[in-house]
Amino acid sequence: MSRTDPVPDRPKGEATASTDAAFTALLEDSAEELYESAPCGYLSTLMDGTIAKINTTLLTWLGRSREEVVGRMRFTDLLTVGGKIYHDTHYAPLLSMQGSINGIALDIKKAGGGRLPALVSSLTKTDSDGRPLLIRTTVFDASDRRAYEQELLRERQVAEGARRRAEEDRERLQEALAVLQSSLLPAALPPVPGMEAASYYHTASPDRLGGDFYDLFPLDGKRWAFFLGDVCGKGPQAAAVTSLARYTLRAAALHDPDPVAALTTLNTVLHERYAAGDPRYCTAVFGVLEPDGDTVTVQLASGGHPPALVLREDGRADYLPTPGGLLVGILPTAPFTPARTVLAAGDTLLLYTDGLTEARTGDQRELFGDDALRDFAAGLTHTGPQQVITAMTGLLNSFGDGLDDDTALLALGVPTNRPHPVSDTPT
Amino acid sequence: MNPLTTTVQETGTGTVLRVAGELDYSTAAELRQVVTGLTLGPDRPLVLDLGRLDFCDSSGITAFIVARNHATAAQARITLVNVPGPVLRVLHVTGLDQVFTLEPGTDTRNRGAAGS
Repeated sequence: MSRTDPVPDRPKGEATASTDAAFTALLEDSAEELYESAPCGYLSTLMDGTIAKINTTLLTWLGRSREEVVGRMRFTDLLTVGGKIYHDTHYAPLLSMQGSINGIALDIKKAGGGRLPALVSSLTKTDSDGRPLLIRTTVFDASDRRAYEQELLRERQVAEGARRRAEEDRERLQEALAVLQSSLLPAALPPVPGMEAASYYHTASPDRLGGDFYDLFPLDGKRWAFFLGDVCGKGPQAAAVTSLARYTLRAAALHDPDPVAALTTLNTVLHERYAAGDPRYCTAVFGVLEPDGDTVTVQLASGGHPPALVLREDGRADYLPTPGGLLVGILPTAPFTPARTVLAAGDTLLLYTDGLTEARTGDQRELFGDDALRDFAAGLTHTGPQQVITAMTGLLNSFGDGLDDDTALLALGVPTNRPHPVSDTPT
Repeated sequence: MNPLTTTVQETGTGTVLRVAGELDYSTAAELRQVVTGLTLGPDRPLVLDLGRLDFCDSSGITAFIVARNHATAAQARITLVNVPGPVLRVLHVTGLDQVFTLEPGTDTRNRGAAGS
């Protein structure tokens, strides 16, 4: 196919001749023409700055005639006020010391009032004895470059602003989460005469609002109400249910403190609110404490919640069964199971959520379970609510990553008659 | 981890939905989607066969409630069969054993009684 080769070999001399012809055409420009129409501005000044010579390119940029400028204006007359100061304090001294200066950014003042960002270089011409004769200066139009730099700067400011706003948003969100979380739990448990109370809340994930809740508050000076519950799910939707449940129970208790009545009110509210769409429900234990002499009567009811544990002063730990109480909020009407017990000196009632009993333990990742909880609690019967919570907190910590759910604990007890609760360690 | 598998079988007397594997937060949505897509009615009851359910947490319980609401809306009966021991325990604590009809059930695949 060599016949149709589009680039046949040519003798070398032919190519050289063609290049020479092109050069010749270019070299028709005289040196004068090149000076006047160069793509940059040229000017020559006397040592006092008076402009002696200037090219057409720069005159065009300035919008001035040669007559206006030559012999009448100094180089600094072409600069803005800022440019003039920079020239006098930096540019001229450096040029005087070094004999040359390169690529300095200065703003040139146009006749019409505008300004031209420029990069300016100067060289001092000297005579044979080294005395300065005049200054030759080139001026490059830097408006594109300046615009590019400003664009970069603007983009950096935009990115910086976006980063700062993201940071502020994150802080606001964390603040909102903290405020919301604190509205779900009491800041501190109120003192109940003749009783001791303690609580603990384990958060499985610090940035997800939990669904467990508890509270303890006075009803009428003689009685106190308490509750502890667990909303299904996690995150903002669960937190909204938690908030609704907490404040509904508080309000319901003031209206009618009967435990079954309080849970029935909560059931009605939750079912009405969440009947359509995504089911939202909770488990809860609600109870009333009534101190009477040395003892406290506890009346409580459960809706689908694991049974409370009662730690007796004599070393027993037993569940207070509440079978048949239904999850709160899934049906328009629901059965709730009441139970009653009396706490004497040294007895403690422990409420917990299923994060505790459903923690995974051991190599087989088995559920911790009800029996293990009762056995553990039986070892704490000679302490008091605060020590029970401390020991339970230690237990929760020992589960490590086997504990993957929020867990709430509330212990209510009657202090022992003994001045200091000490264990019956045989001596 | 055994992923969740669901099998739907239409029988002459209704729909059997067999649920196997682990039912938790990450898989419960799948069961909810399957169950709410079933056509039920007064003469098309739903049987949930949990015989091969290895694990079930509160998200799974929510899925059962969604199934119940779907069946109730269609006036269909819903029955849980072959409920494993741990799930039975949760249904008992939450009172849901009163809400669902529970049957030991050997009717769906002649499998043994409820799990562990």
